[in-house]
Amino acid sequence: MPRIEKYKKVLIIGSGPIVIGQACEFDYSGTQACKALVAEGIEVILVNSNPATIMTDPEIASKVYIEPLEKTFVEKIIAAERPDAIIPTLGGQTALNLGLELDRSGILKKYNVEMIGATPEVIKSAEDREIFNQLLRKVGAKHTRSQMIRDFKHGLKVSDELGFPIILRPNYTLGGGGGGVAYSKEEFEIMLAHALGESPTSEVLIEESILGWKEFELEVMRDRAGTFVVICSIENFDPCGVHTGDSITVAPQQTLSDLEYQDMRDEARRILDIVGLECGGANIQFAVDPKTKKRVVIEMNPRVSRSSALASKATGFPIAKIAALLAIGYRLDEIQNDITKSTPSCYEPALDYVVTKIPRFAFEKFYGAKDQLSTQMKSVGEVMSIGRTFKESFQKALCAQESYLGFDEVVFDKKKLSHPSSHRILQVAQAFRESLSVEEVNHLTMISPWFLEQIEEIVHFEEKIRKFPMNKDILTSAKRFGFSDGRLAQLQNSTEEDIRKLRNDLEVLPVYLKVDTCAGEFASETPYFYSSYWGSATPVQTSKKQKVIVIGSGPNRIGQGIEFDYCCVRGVKQLQKQGFEVIMINSNPETVSTDYDTSDQLYFEPLDFEHVFDVVNHVQPMGLVLQLGGQTPLSLVHELHKNGVPILGSTIETIDFTEDRSRFQIVCEGIGFEIPEAGLASDLNEALLCADRIGYPLICRPSYVLGGRRMEIIENIEDLKRYFTMYASEISPKARCFMDQFLENALEIDVDIVRGQDWSLVGGIVEHIEAAGVHSGDSMGVIPPQRLRSELLQIIEKQCLQLADKLNVIGHLNVQLAIKNERVYIIEANPRCSRTVPFLAKATGIPLVDLGIMAMTLVPRDQIPLSDFNWKSIEVVCVKGVVFPFKKFPEADSILGPEMKSTGESMGRGQEYSEALMKAFISSHQKLPREGEVFLSLREQDKKTLLPVAQDLLKLGFRLSATSGTAQFLYENGVDCIPVKKVHEGRPNCVDRIRSGGVHLVINTTSGRQAVEASFSIRRSCTDFSIPCLTEDHAAEAFVLALKKQKSGEFGIYPI
Amino acid sequence: MSKGYLVLGNGEVFSGSWLGNKEAIGEVVFNTSHNGYEEIATDPSYYGQIVVMTAPQQGNYGVNDSFWESRQLWIRGFICLELQKSTANSAWLERLNEHGIPAIDNLDTRSLVLHLRDQGTQVGAMFSANSIEEAREKALPLVRSFSDQELNWAYQVSRKKNQKMEGASTGGPRVAVVDYGCKQNIIRELIKRCREVMIFPANTSAQEILDWNPDGILLSNGPGNPQDVLGAPETIRELLGKKVIFGICMGHQLLGRALGGETFRLKFGHRGANHPIQDLRSGKVFMTSQNHGYAITKESLPSSVELTHINLNDKTVSGISSAKHNCFSVQFHPESHPGPRDAENLFDEFIERIQA
Ligand SMILES: Nc1ncnc2c1ncn2[C@@H]1O[C@H](COP(=O)(O)OP(=O)(O)O)[C@@H](O)[C@H]1O
Ligand SMILES: Nc1ncnc2c1ncn2[C@@H]1O[C@H](COP(=O)(O)OP(=O)(O)O)[C@@H](O)[C@H]1O
Ligand SMILES: [Mg+2]
Ligand SMILES: [Mg+2]
Repeated sequence: MPRIEKYKKVLIIGSGPIVIGQACEFDYSGTQACKALVAEGIEVILVNSNPATIMTDPEIASKVYIEPLEKTFVEKIIAAERPDAIIPTLGGQTALNLGLELDRSGILKKYNVEMIGATPEVIKSAEDREIFNQLLRKVGAKHTRSQMIRDFKHGLKVSDELGFPIILRPNYTLGGGGGGVAYSKEEFEIMLAHALGESPTSEVLIEESILGWKEFELEVMRDRAGTFVVICSIENFDPCGVHTGDSITVAPQQTLSDLEYQDMRDEARRILDIVGLECGGANIQFAVDPKTKKRVVIEMNPRVSRSSALASKATGFPIAKIAALLAIGYRLDEIQNDITKSTPSCYEPALDYVVTKIPRFAFEKFYGAKDQLSTQMKSVGEVMSIGRTFKESFQKALCAQESYLGFDEVVFDKKKLSHPSSHRILQVAQAFRESLSVEEVNHLTMISPWFLEQIEEIVHFEEKIRKFPMNKDILTSAKRFGFSDGRLAQLQNSTEEDIRKLRNDLEVLPVYLKVDTCAGEFASETPYFYSSYWGSATPVQTSKKQKVIVIGSGPNRIGQGIEFDYCCVRGVKQLQKQGFEVIMINSNPETVSTDYDTSDQLYFEPLDFEHVFDVVNHVQPMGLVLQLGGQTPLSLVHELHKNGVPILGSTIETIDFTEDRSRFQIVCEGIGFEIPEAGLASDLNEALLCADRIGYPLICRPSYVLGGRRMEIIENIEDLKRYFTMYASEISPKARCFMDQFLENALEIDVDIVRGQDWSLVGGIVEHIEAAGVHSGDSMGVIPPQRLRSELLQIIEKQCLQLADKLNVIGHLNVQLAIKNERVYIIEANPRCSRTVPFLAKATGIPLVDLGIMAMTLVPRDQIPLSDFNWKSIEVVCVKGVVFPFKKFPEADSILGPEMKSTGESMGRGQEYSEALMKAFISSHQKLPREGEVFLSLREQDKKTLLPVAQDLLKLGFRLSATSGTAQFLYENGVDCIPVKKVHEGRPNCVDRIRSGGVHLVINTTSGRQAVEASFSIRRSCTDFSIPCLTEDHAAEAFVLALKKQKSGEFGIYPI
Repeated sequence: MSKGYLVLGNGEVFSGSWLGNKEAIGEVVFNTSHNGYEEIATDPSYYGQIVVMTAPQQGNYGVNDSFWESRQLWIRGFICLELQKSTANSAWLERLNEHGIPAIDNLDTRSLVLHLRDQGTQVGAMFSANSIEEAREKALPLVRSFSDQELNWAYQVSRKKNQKMEGASTGGPRVAVVDYGCKQNIIRELIKRCREVMIFPANTSAQEILDWNPDGILLSNGPGNPQDVLGAPETIRELLGKKVIFGICMGHQLLGRALGGETFRLKFGHRGANHPIQDLRSGKVFMTSQNHGYAITKESLPSSVELTHINLNDKTVSGISSAKHNCFSVQFHPESHPGPRDAENLFDEFIERIQA
């Protein structure tokens, strides 16, 4: 069955901004699919609102729309492009839902667009619990018993039938609120009442618990001829009850016998058949009772997923690419296996290694959030590692987290062992150090004994390392167990350097093995490697080209995400264009950079010094690029430099320069930048003195804090005292606290520069919409600037270029500035590619990353068409929107501050500012209300500024309500509004009003710890009920501008 | 723990940890299946072979008597990267040792597999030794002794007496099985579908089988080179056309030879659970469990024989059928154990052909 010829033009829907549960794995799958279809000569139209993706690069698809993933916008695109087919299975749940909506509303029919990959019927069968369960029963598969509850009494009755613990899933779930596990009747009653209240339809699915069961996933594919293959089996280390996205997982599955595994495989095939998925990839989750071996199906996703990205990286089987080819008619046996280049794609990969995935969390970013894992996904990223055994693979994965050396020692706490959390794995190892048995730990955690034994063996081996002097045998065994040099140094009371020296002397060096899809059965050509201490030395691939290594950005985390992967991938491509052989090192399975066909050689390795330096020694590159992967590669620069590794671009002096405050200050002042008043304090007394000199408000941050940054704006002396009490343990003469004058109400901008040896260029200036004080990653931004005068712009550009000269930057420089009263303050400078670079590149069309590579590889001025690159000549206004994960953290406050909390960004493009704003808000999942009530609660200094906003809202037909002070002010200024009680003034109060659905937009500005705490419940109820809540005055102005635009009903769509 | 060595016929040495008592000699083959070590070890087709598992960790889920594919363990030795031997669970290692099967783990199986892939299947000897030199010396006479042994492996592993079994399907046919080293799951699949099953030793004459008057005859799997199963093609030829015949693996190769075809030795065989097969009649592709070192030469088949299945990896013959003689056979294992069960319906096809 060859390709179906009628599909000449295909629309692919992306997944939008990065959110928890839907991250850059969909950039990976979408990019693969686009490339595969373009290679088939198909015209591929792509729509995605996320500018930080590779897939939205002009080279990937035939035409790219960075537009909201909403029906009205996509309809316009369909009307303009008239595609033959649409593929909704590559962009996660977002694309699937959008596809369904396009179908339901008749748009697909109207424009005669066929849905391929999965039909609406299939999607419904898999997504609708009732239908799906019915289908499961038809094929003899089991599922958990559950019932939809609509009233409290009924709920109690059903809970008696199902027993405890019991799972609650509010329908149309409103984030963290409502769902979860109830362990007792009392708990259940409280949770049920809450859950019914949280669900807009007052519906809660109550489900029998399978907590503690073993959880598995099968990644499967099927073609139109009915050929069925399991690409990968994945076993969860954490048992049922911890979302698979938050679980440590292992591939292939390790603890099922062939009989049990084949039963599961057969069931998967039957499910796929009955659901009717004609072709493509799917993910099916199973749970198995460890005692009775009873198996149930948890759910099925009829599309590529996070796990399919993991499965692709784990096996070398490019699921998304193949899914796209299947969608246009090919059969699995007609597609070649990319890795072996000799066998077809209809096979099940055989692995001769073990893959471990460990998620990465961000609880520390959300003050008050409980570090507790449950059935709702909370992790923001993940690492994958490959080793020949579970032990080797697992300890490598711990290193790849970039926060552990391995099984780091912790204070043992039984409670922390029995309650799943982001750090529980360390408690598991600690339990064995405390001599708990496998049975005891299994009893407390329900983790399979097989996994526990592996960890116990690692812990027991620690004793050997502690007691015996290192010889070649012990060292080899230790490395085969996956112990990092750093951890060995701890155990031996020596240094990482000593261990490395010993390894070199004893010749205990890693070898690099191929991921070949077939356990060595066939020769493979694809240079996709992992390190191991099992095996004989592998020769390096020789080529005439000069080799360059690009270091990736590791696991996604808040502050370092997909945007850096974009930079890495662009960088790799540019280096290849310039004739280099490019080697990629990264540990993140979700990314495009870890696709085996992105670089010339891929090393899937932790991004710590040990593993990176080992690869460097193995491939002997002419240089390393460290500027593209964010802070991770940059943090390796000192050690690499010390060991004589050649770094391309800015030297270590430049990097140190930007971090040495006093030297940096002198240079900046020389250029004409202002510097905020600053000081350092090692305790409260010094802080008080410092504050006297600088004055309030201040911005404080400890100079050394693992994980979270603890950056806060301090309004007064009480606040300062509280801050120093709270972080007493993190501030000392050795780790002093930075205190800066806080520039209130200043305009913040990001400037990105590239500088070569004899040339430099400003890539663009993004003007932040919120004032300084909201982290640059969290504030919305606009290019071209709307408020900066052009004369000042010119001065700033000149100054920034001067700064790059003075610092002797080669490559990228990002400068963050704050402008107040026409004076330009410098906040910081980063000698690397920044978060804004992909946004700028998409907005201006200037290939900033490519230019950075040209700079780093010393391409001279006359070979670069600098005059083509003028960021000011951009024709559309581009606004950066921001997406936050507050819903997932029920205790977290959505107020914005100097610490970054957002997970993703979107781009709105328009003829004018308001259009771009409108789209950016929509793309960031903000509902733009058309009518109803706006509730205002404003701090004193914002009242005047926001008066026109209130007036505009009235004119737009909204009703206003406000807390007493604000209401009074509005009233005095002739604006009609309903006064509402504050929370502590009794009931019904403003929160009651919001929670009962009477409010459609909230503007709430506050400052000062007390006021912030007092108004927390206002913002939280908005988060829970998806009501837009603006916490900053400029953002409020922008929002109203967007509302006006929406009301006008006029908008366009603009391909890039 | 002492050092264990595997020395190949070509002098190549691999070392690891010795987990056994006495040495072993055999053909060294690798299997890429992730699971099923116990099924593999008890499959008579592995007679005379040292099995290398490419999946690194073995013994993970212990042992289970119901996984046995015959009355004993047939492999000569077991090699993997890491064999489960924790205090809590070392059942698989214990079972190997109980049955006198030595194992080596801690051995770089990937290098070994790449070597076998490139150099082809080799005879090897495994044992414990103190040094590589000692190992080489020790290996030489052992490896040589291997070529002295009798090669009629199918006869050696076959049952020595007839065995009659009640089937579960009262309306089903009576089927004779010729046991060249039959896997138990073939019998299980037949019992599900038959009224009665009679298993005959490999050297049973055609007449004796026909005397029992079966409705159909299944030629089972078995170890070694089909050329060494002397007399079998002749016996089968006598049965041709008289009853519906279904051959599996060795049974397929012998049927091929009986029909006038030739067999040849594959460089390193097919052993695993992920081999794609295409049914050329329907075009359908499915995953199969495989375990064979020989195959039928495509060109040697007479024109009356239809090529029904091919292996999509290397395009070798994987299934044949003859309308004239009402027989068919497949190179792979529809009875799985271990491996996917996608081809299970071939047993139904067999019954349907009988009942047609
Ligand atoms: N009935 C249940 N009892 C206990 N845990 C469950 C139950 N159902 C689901 N889970 C856990 O919750 C997680 C998420 O459930 P799932 O249905 O897969 O939702 P999602 O669509 O978010 O992936 C699963 O990975 C599993 O660990
Ligand atoms: N002196 C200051 N005045 C006002 N805002 C500031 C000041 N210093 C930092 N900020 C705010 O805090 C944010 C984060 O500070 P920054 O030094 O850029 O940290 P990061 O390294 O996390 O980017 C900035 O984007 C800015 O909004
Ligand atoms: Mg799930
Ligand atoms: Mg910053």
